[in-house]
Amino acid sequence: MKLEVLDREYMYPGHVACPGCGAAIAMRFLLKTLGEKVIMVLPACCWSVIAGPYPQSTLKIPVIHSAFETGGAVATGVRAALDIQGDTETMVVTWAGDGGTFDIGFQALSGAVERNENFIYVCYDNEAYMNTGVQRSSSTPYGAWTTTTPGREWKKMRKKNIVEALVAHRIPYAATANIAFPEDLVTKVKKARDTKGSRFLHIFATCPTGWRIPSEMSVRIARMAVQTNIFPLYEVEDGVRYTINYKPKEFPVKEYFHLQGRFQHLTDEDLDHIQDMVNEDWQLLLRKAGERTP
Amino acid sequence: MEKRNDTAKTSLLILPRTFTSTEANKTGSWRYLRPRYEEKTSPCSNACPAGEDIARIEMLAEEGLFKEAWETILRENPFPAICGRVCFHPCEGRCNRKEFDEAVAIHQIERFLADTARKNDSKPVIVGRNEKRPEKIAIAGAGPAGLAAAYFLTRLGYGCEIFEAREEAGGILRWGIPPYRLPLDVLQAEIARIQDLGIPIRTGTPLGPSFLSEARGKYAAVFLGCGHSRPRGLGIPGEDLEGVEEGLPFLASIRRGDMPKISGPVAVVGGGNSAVDVARSVARLGGESWILYRRRREDMPAFETEILQALEEGVKIRELLAPVRLERKNGRFVFTLQPMRVDGKDVDGRGRIVPDGDVETMEFAKVFKAIGEEAGEDWYRPPAEDRDVLRLSNCTVSMKPGLPVLVYGGDLAASLKSVVHAVASAKEGAIALDILFREGRENLSGGLLKCRVGEGPSLSMEIHLGGPRGRRSSHIVSYSEINADYFQMAPRITQPRLLPEERLKGFDEIDLRISANLAIREAGRCFNCGLCNQCDNCFLFCPDMSIHRGEGGTDRWIDYDYCKGCGLCAAECPRNAMVLEEEKGS
Repeated sequence: MKLEVLDREYMYPGHVACPGCGAAIAMRFLLKTLGEKVIMVLPACCWSVIAGPYPQSTLKIPVIHSAFETGGAVATGVRAALDIQGDTETMVVTWAGDGGTFDIGFQALSGAVERNENFIYVCYDNEAYMNTGVQRSSSTPYGAWTTTTPGREWKKMRKKNIVEALVAHRIPYAATANIAFPEDLVTKVKKARDTKGSRFLHIFATCPTGWRIPSEMSVRIARMAVQTNIFPLYEVEDGVRYTINYKPKEFPVKEYFHLQGRFQHLTDEDLDHIQDMVNEDWQLLLRKAGERTP
Repeated sequence: MEKRNDTAKTSLLILPRTFTSTEANKTGSWRYLRPRYEEKTSPCSNACPAGEDIARIEMLAEEGLFKEAWETILRENPFPAICGRVCFHPCEGRCNRKEFDEAVAIHQIERFLADTARKNDSKPVIVGRNEKRPEKIAIAGAGPAGLAAAYFLTRLGYGCEIFEAREEAGGILRWGIPPYRLPLDVLQAEIARIQDLGIPIRTGTPLGPSFLSEARGKYAAVFLGCGHSRPRGLGIPGEDLEGVEEGLPFLASIRRGDMPKISGPVAVVGGGNSAVDVARSVARLGGESWILYRRRREDMPAFETEILQALEEGVKIRELLAPVRLERKNGRFVFTLQPMRVDGKDVDGRGRIVPDGDVETMEFAKVFKAIGEEAGEDWYRPPAEDRDVLRLSNCTVSMKPGLPVLVYGGDLAASLKSVVHAVASAKEGAIALDILFREGRENLSGGLLKCRVGEGPSLSMEIHLGGPRGRRSSHIVSYSEINADYFQMAPRITQPRLLPEERLKGFDEIDLRISANLAIREAGRCFNCGLCNQCDNCFLFCPDMSIHRGEGGTDRWIDYDYCKGCGLCAAECPRNAMVLEEEKGS
């Protein structure tokens, strides 16, 4: 694939992300697209560690490490400070994990986007609290093993649909993206960059350690999440205009589940049930996008 | 005022700020798997007897670099326009794309590249050795093997001279393949390119058996590519009756431009390509063709597409009928035939046939025999293997004292009788002679091993000449090693072809040209197994910024100081141009 933004690099090597880390790939794509005029707010998450133990930093842009629940609020403050200085060029980006977005940081995020604060909020989603030892979050999918949903107590709740929650705020731009689809990801980051007000990007980022998969499968698994409709690629403008960016061939979900250690306990009946849920979500999305459903 | 400054100072002090990068952490020490760039061998190039670098050819063709793609063919095969038409393309049978949707139409792209080069009057840059060798080499026969041998040996710096008994060069290509499969001007253009290298072709100069001993002194080696010219008989009563004709001379007369009128039912005995060619030519001249074959249709050595096209043109095939005798009654031939049935297997794997029931008779206006040929003269045949005679994959090298080195190639020595096997035998012979003269007999087998394409037996002249292809590993890429997620299903192009009724009007070429657009699209279907086409997946997906690209994005290397060995680069390489190995060392 040929991407125009290929040559820019805003990350140093030597960071301590696990081998095959999807979140590291996601950050690389984001910064390659946004460039250096960025102040990043980093609430507690894997990236708090990846960004470097003090006094090191792996990012070539300014980063503010903030408390877990404050991603939306700190970004609001940084934006206000920049505006007072008359700096409208520098973008403010909050980069948070699913815990800091779906759970702990949700109220600050909801508050900030309700005020339509002018910033980009990116949630890189690895579907659990990974850097503290794989605890379930409200982003953990139905059926998954985590250290807090062990054995037969695997998670029996559906994954929270965070994009729809943000869409409900009628923000100017909300979109899903995936590390296995760099062109789509870069296009959406550009679109977010060129939009004013609150923008939300939900990036699917594989976690080889927490998902119990070989590190080299990281991108393949991410790709399969899209190909199976588990994680559709779509975007919503102004809370109403839906666009589905990629129509997959709709592989059966069990191909995705069989490859991951965190789903090994699931039976065929469980997988059938999951397939039904995925189909239902996809039909719902098609209806929202105004596309014909069978 | 003083106090505020103090506060500011204090707050600066308590706000921790990073001041260095993570580059001090050499995360390469985490690695237990090591990725490495390694181009590999595509199955098609291994299956091609001429060892053409097909994966590279398709890559260049897709980029629209038609001349470069054509020159890449010419490194390994002097006859792209011929092989693009008449080769039975074993390459396509091994194409990994077959497992995905359909094999790439390699032969159509080959023909397209050759025809485009000719249309544009392209002058190829033919890679060869600069220094001239003192040894002179005589070549007996200007058929595909002899011409190819002269081509390869000239590129290696040897002076060559071709002797041809007939009035024109080309051998079976000139006299045995009908114009609807290989137009004369196409053949002549390919031969002219070989002559342009400064190779004299002495036509009308048959050689006698004494030539081999006389050649000593003048020639260091003789390449014999004399082919098969003496028809094998049926061994039945009546086969020599007047009006019973041999197939090859009939095809030669058509090649010469004679178009005899034929009418009524015509029997063609045999099951090879010549038999099918004769039957299809008879159909074009107005006759009603019947192919009589003693085995089953699936046992016919003729290419399947040729048989299918013959059937489309109205040729009828009667299988499991063995000729018993031929008689002439009232100006017609009465053919007595023994029905056969299959009973067990023959040594060659084909069904063994035994008589089945009573004989039957059929009447014909004309009978052609086309059951194959053998060596025209006994001295054409390669000697049995001994201390001084080495049998290679597609040729035999005789190093008997008192004679020049003799290389027996072409149909007389190749593992299969086909044009591309003739090219393979010529290349093998040429490389063998080069190693003999430059490095001595003891290095012969080792030297030949070095230029194998994959596991062989096909050989690469580019590798022999020290080209970059030699750096590829001999590992043959399998479909499971291709990352098929990066490819879209796309149907193979269909060959535009004259309708059967148009074909029967004459001897015009029946396969039509394809457009550049179609050729590019078809070449784009190729997986380019084992080759890097600089797609940059390895660079893009590296979470550790450990893949570096050189100026212009052409060169890539891995920074092992930081590479954690996650393996994403190798796993996401669509074409298997990388490997992941266990980390050795401390």
